[in-house]
Amino acid sequence: MIAHSGNMETYDYDVVKKFTIMSVVYGIVGFLLGVIIALELAFPELNGGISYISFGRLRPLHTSAVIFAFGGCVLFACSYYVVQRTCKARLFSDALSKFTFWGWNLVIVLAVITYPLGLTQGKEYAETIWPIDILITVVWVAYFINFVGTLAKRKEKHIYVANWFFLAFIITVAMLHIVNNLAIPVNLTDSYSIYPGVQDAMIQWWYGHNAVGFFLTAAFLGLMYYFVPKQAERPVYSYRLSIVHFWALAFLYIWAGPHHLHYTALPDWASTLGATFSIMLLLPSWGGMINGIMTLSGAWHKLRTDPILRFFIISLSFYGMSTFEGPMMSIKTVNALSHYTDWSIGHVHSGALGWVAMVSFGAIYHLVPKLWGTQTWSVRLINVHFWLATIGIVIYIVSMWISGIMQGLMWRAYDHYGNLTYSFAETVGAMHPYYVFRAVGGIIFLLGALLMAFNVAKTIGNKGEPSPLRTA
Amino acid sequence: MSEEKEVETTGHQWDEDEGYPLKEFNNPLPRWWLYSFYGTIVWAVIYWIFYPAWPLVTDYTRGLLGWSMHRQLDEELAQARALQKPFNDRLEKMGLAEITHDPQMLQYAVAGGKSIFGDNCAPCHGNGGTGSKSGGFPVLVDDDWLISGTIEGIANTITHGHVAMMPAHQKEYGGSFDAKQVDDLTQFVLSLSGQGGNKEAQARGAALFKGEAGCRHCHGDLGKGSARDTLDGAPMEKSIGAPNLTDAIWLYGSDEATVRQSIAKGRSGRMPAWGMGTEGTNHKLPPLAIKQVAVYVHSLGGGQ
Amino acid sequence: MNHASIEKSIPLMAILTLLVVAIGGLVEIVPLFYLKSTIEKVEGMRPYTPLELKGRDIYIREGCYNCHSQMIRPFRDEDQRYGHYSLAAESMYDHPFQWGSKRTGPDLARVGGKYSSLWHQAHMRRPKDVAPESVMPSYPWLEKTELDFADVGKRMEALAKVGVPYSREQITHAANDLKTQAGLNGELQGLQQRYGKRVTIGEREPGNHPITELDALIGYLQMLGTLVDFSVPQPQAR
Repeated sequence: MIAHSGNMETYDYDVVKKFTIMSVVYGIVGFLLGVIIALELAFPELNGGISYISFGRLRPLHTSAVIFAFGGCVLFACSYYVVQRTCKARLFSDALSKFTFWGWNLVIVLAVITYPLGLTQGKEYAETIWPIDILITVVWVAYFINFVGTLAKRKEKHIYVANWFFLAFIITVAMLHIVNNLAIPVNLTDSYSIYPGVQDAMIQWWYGHNAVGFFLTAAFLGLMYYFVPKQAERPVYSYRLSIVHFWALAFLYIWAGPHHLHYTALPDWASTLGATFSIMLLLPSWGGMINGIMTLSGAWHKLRTDPILRFFIISLSFYGMSTFEGPMMSIKTVNALSHYTDWSIGHVHSGALGWVAMVSFGAIYHLVPKLWGTQTWSVRLINVHFWLATIGIVIYIVSMWISGIMQGLMWRAYDHYGNLTYSFAETVGAMHPYYVFRAVGGIIFLLGALLMAFNVAKTIGNKGEPSPLRTA
Repeated sequence: MSEEKEVETTGHQWDEDEGYPLKEFNNPLPRWWLYSFYGTIVWAVIYWIFYPAWPLVTDYTRGLLGWSMHRQLDEELAQARALQKPFNDRLEKMGLAEITHDPQMLQYAVAGGKSIFGDNCAPCHGNGGTGSKSGGFPVLVDDDWLISGTIEGIANTITHGHVAMMPAHQKEYGGSFDAKQVDDLTQFVLSLSGQGGNKEAQARGAALFKGEAGCRHCHGDLGKGSARDTLDGAPMEKSIGAPNLTDAIWLYGSDEATVRQSIAKGRSGRMPAWGMGTEGTNHKLPPLAIKQVAVYVHSLGGGQ
Repeated sequence: MNHASIEKSIPLMAILTLLVVAIGGLVEIVPLFYLKSTIEKVEGMRPYTPLELKGRDIYIREGCYNCHSQMIRPFRDEDQRYGHYSLAAESMYDHPFQWGSKRTGPDLARVGGKYSSLWHQAHMRRPKDVAPESVMPSYPWLEKTELDFADVGKRMEALAKVGVPYSREQITHAANDLKTQAGLNGELQGLQQRYGKRVTIGEREPGNHPITELDALIGYLQMLGTLVDFSVPQPQAR
C-alpha cells in the first residue's frame, strides 16, 4: 500500500509496515527466548534433556533474535521511514526494498532453524553459519544501495543528522561482518575461522563490541534524532554537538573492543588501548543523550500526557547510564571484578532493554498510526506497557548487579590464612535467588511487549479518522 | 516558543509537510561536556605514558612504570606466599600425625585442605566429602574406608590415586559365566548384607564366590573387603580397595539390579593421582597441598 | 572546517566514515599478526588429535562457550583455583578461539586430567548428580549418539588451510588415530608418534559399543590445558 501525503512524492510505506510488524513479532520471540533461558538457569531441569532447547543452543538464538531480528527490523523500518521523509523521496528501488525485507527475514528464519540444530560458528553474536553469512552480506549490500540511492534523491541539500548515523551504521556493520566471518568451509554447514586464538579473539570483540556500538548505539541514535524532535515538537538542541559527537563516536567506538579481553592472553598494550578509548568514548556517547534530553527540555509538560515521549526520555536515561557504566567497567581494575560475571549481563540489558528496546517501543507507537493512517487504539495501554517495561528492566538489572558483584567478590574471597573461601560450586549455588528474580523481571518486560503487540494490532485495525497521537 | 528566537536554528528544515518540521538549534557545545571530554583525552595520554599502550614496528611502548599484568600477578602471589610462609615452613617439616596434635597447625591445615578440596575433590566426593548421587565416588565422612583411613593412608591415596577394577563376569560383557551363574552370585552377595531370600541360589553363589569366580581374592574370605578381611587367614593387600560387601554402605547401590550389574558388567573407577600428575597429564597438587587435604579429609569424621 | 560540505556530499560522508571507523581496528588487529611478543614460545603445543578435534566441534555445537571460559586470568585467586594463567600460545591452533565471556560454570582452560572420565560421564549425564549446585543442563544425547567421524580428515584439511600444521600423514591416518584414541584397539605407537606420548587414551566400558559423541567430548576436555608443562620453567616472551 502506498500512502500519499499532500503533494509529496509517494513514499514506500509498504516495506516500512512489513518491517514494523515483524519487529513486534521478533521482539516477542526474542524476549520470550530470553525468559526461557533465564528460567533454564534458575531451574536447569527445564530443558528436559532435549538438545534443541538446551541453554547453549538457545542463548545464541536469544541474542540474535533480539539484536538482529527485533533490533534489525526496527532499524530497517525506521531507517527506511526516516530516510524517505527527511529526503522527501521514495526509496531508491522497490525491488531492493522487497529484497531486503524477504532476505533479512530469510536470514532470521534460517538462524531459527540452524541454531537449535547446533549449527553454529561458535563466535558470539556471529553464530550464523557461512552460507547465512553470505546471504547477510548480500542483503546488507542491497540495503546500502537502497539507502544511499534514496539519499541521492533528496530534496534538501543537507543530509539530516539521523541519516549520518544510519549511514555509519550500515558501512561499519558491513566491514565488521565481513572481516569477522572470514572462514574456510568444511561442508555446507561447517567452517573454521581463518584467524587463530588471540587474533581471532581480538577480531571477534572488535566485531562484538562494535555490533553494540554501531548496530545498537549509532543506528538507534539515528532513530532518536528523528523521533524525539518529531514527537516533542522541538528543534534538535545543538547541531554543533551532533557533528562533534557523531565523528568522535564513530572514531572512538571502534577502539573499545579489547576491553572485553582485559587480563586475558591479549597483550597488555591492546588492553590499554581498549580501556583508554572506552573512557574517551564516554562524553561522545553522552553527546547523543544531551542532544536528546535537551531537545525534550521545554516540552517537559508533554511528558505528563504523552507516554511515547516517556519511552524516549527513559530510553535516553538508560542510554546515559549504560554508556557511563560501560567505560567504568572497561577500567582494568573494575573489569577484573566484573568480567565473566552477571554484572556484564546486567550491563548489556540496561543498554539493550533500557535503551534499545525502549526507544524502539516509542518509535513503533509513533509509527503505527502514521503508517496505517489510524488512531492509537489505547493510550492507556501504552502507559501500562511503559510501567511494566520499566519495572521489569529495573528488577532485571538490579538482580544482575547483585549476583554479578557478589559472585565476583566470592571468587576472590580469602580466609585469614589466604585460602580461597568458596569453591566455584558454592558461588553458583549463591546465584539461584537472583536468577529467579531476573526471570521475573524478564517476564514482566515480556508482558509489556505482549500488550504492545495487542495495541499495535488493534491500532492497525482501528478504522477512523487519522488524528494526532495524543488522545489521552 | 521564545527560545527559538533566542538561539538561531541552522535554517535547514526536513520533513516539514506533516507534523512538526525537523529543525536544529545551533547551540554551542556544553562547556562541561567539552572540558570533560578534553579531560578524558588528557587522562588517556597520561595513561599511555605510564602503561604499555601503542604497538610499534617490532615492539610496543612499554610505559614508564614497567607494569605488566604478569608482573602484577607475581607481586600478588609473592604477598600471598609471604602470608603463608611461616605456616608452610612448619608444615613442611611436620609429619602428618604430628600436625593433628598441634592445634594451631591443625587449624591451618584443615582450612587450607578444605579450600583445595572444594574445587578439586568435591566434584566427585561431594561437598565436605558427603558423596554424590552418582555411583562410584566414595563418601569420605564415614569410617568405611576402601583402602585406608589413616592419615598416611589418605595422603598416599591422594598422591598416587587409585584405579579400581572390578572385572566383568557375564559372558556377553567379556566374563566367563552365564547369566544364571551371575544371578546366583548376586543372590549370595545380597545375602552377605542380609538381603535376598533364595537360599538355593545363595548356596550356588557362595560356591562360585569362594571358588571359580575368585571373588574372595579381592573381597576377602568373608567378603568384608580388602581393607579388613583376610585371604586364607592372611592379611590382604590394602591397595586393592575392594569394598566390604557385608555392611550397608554401597558404592554403586544395594538394590538387586545394581549389584547384578556390577557383577555382570564389572566396574571401573579412577581416582586421579594428584601427586604424580592426574590422568597421565602434568596437572598436580604440590606436596604441601596434599598434606593439607589429607589432614582435612582425615578430620571429616571417619579418620582412623 | 565547514561541515556543510561533508553533509551535502554522500561520497564524502561515506568515505570519511569508512576511514574513521577503519583506523582503530587496523591499529589494534594488524600488530597482533606481526609482533613476535604476542605469542609466547613454549614447548608442548600440538594440533588437536582427530578425537579431540571432533570433541571440540561438539563443544562448539553445544554452545559450551556461552557459560564456560577457557582463559585463566593472571590473578591470585584464579592461579589458586585453576592453575597457571593461560598463554596466547595455548590457543594458537584454535579456530575459532573459545576464551568465552561468561563463567556461569567454571573455567575449563586446565580441566584436562583433573577428574576421571567416569566423572565426566556421570556429570554430562546429569550434572546435579555430582554437583548439586550446578545449573548446567543434562546432555543425555551425547552418550546415545554415535560419533560420525567420516569427515574428520576433511576437517583437518580445512584447518591446515588456515595454518594449523597438520601433516599429510596425520590427515591420512585421521580415522584410525581417532579409533585408537577412543580405546578401540589400534596402532597406539603411530598415534603417539604423530601426536606425542602424552595423548590420553579413552577408557571404554566392556562390551562392544560404538564410539559416542561423549567419548569425543571427554577426549577434548581431558586434553585441555595439559599440553604445556608448567612444572618446568617455560621461556615466555612478554
